[in-house]
Amino acid sequence: MADPIEEEIQREIKANKILIYGKGTKAMPMCGFTRETMHFFEKYGYPYELIDVLSQPAKREALTRLTNWPTLPKVFIDGQFYGDTDILDPMEAKGEVVPLLKKAFDAS
Amino acid sequence: MITADAVTTYIRQVFPDAAVTVIDKTGTQDHLIVRVTSAGFAEKNLLDRHRMVYQALAAPMKDGRIHALEITATTPDEVK
Repeated sequence: MADPIEEEIQREIKANKILIYGKGTKAMPMCGFTRETMHFFEKYGYPYELIDVLSQPAKREALTRLTNWPTLPKVFIDGQFYGDTDILDPMEAKGEVVPLLKKAFDAS
Repeated sequence: MITADAVTTYIRQVFPDAAVTVIDKTGTQDHLIVRVTSAGFAEKNLLDRHRMVYQALAAPMKDGRIHALEITATTPDEVK
């Protein structure tokens, strides 16, 4: 029997081209890294979703297991896991982010 | 709170050849930037490199000595 929390995560990942699991909300991010990740995507002008997992410890735990990644925020683009800005910044420097976002949003 | 030497020791348990630089981002010795250069990263993608560093620092992260961590992980020949 699939875990309902993991099913919910899968739904959220599919429903949002850019999805950030982080601390706090868009209106009130509660962590520097979450804010930094929001700004990262705001630069590109594509819509993104921030889901607060500070208030959902079970989901936070499931995400850590699912991604084998111990920290927040956790970024998913087009259903794929990309860690956080520690990963996205070097990708951006190599010009890999724009094509990735284009593919994600043009494919819809 | 954790010292740069302690961070380096943890990292060298996984990457014996590692060159490690630790920057204290906020002066509280628990928001760190850790730069690791090791041949152990060769052929590994960015996510896996960072996972390996997180595993090396799992203990001090779990007990809170490290609160926030920014990682760069390169091989010797990638370092400009």
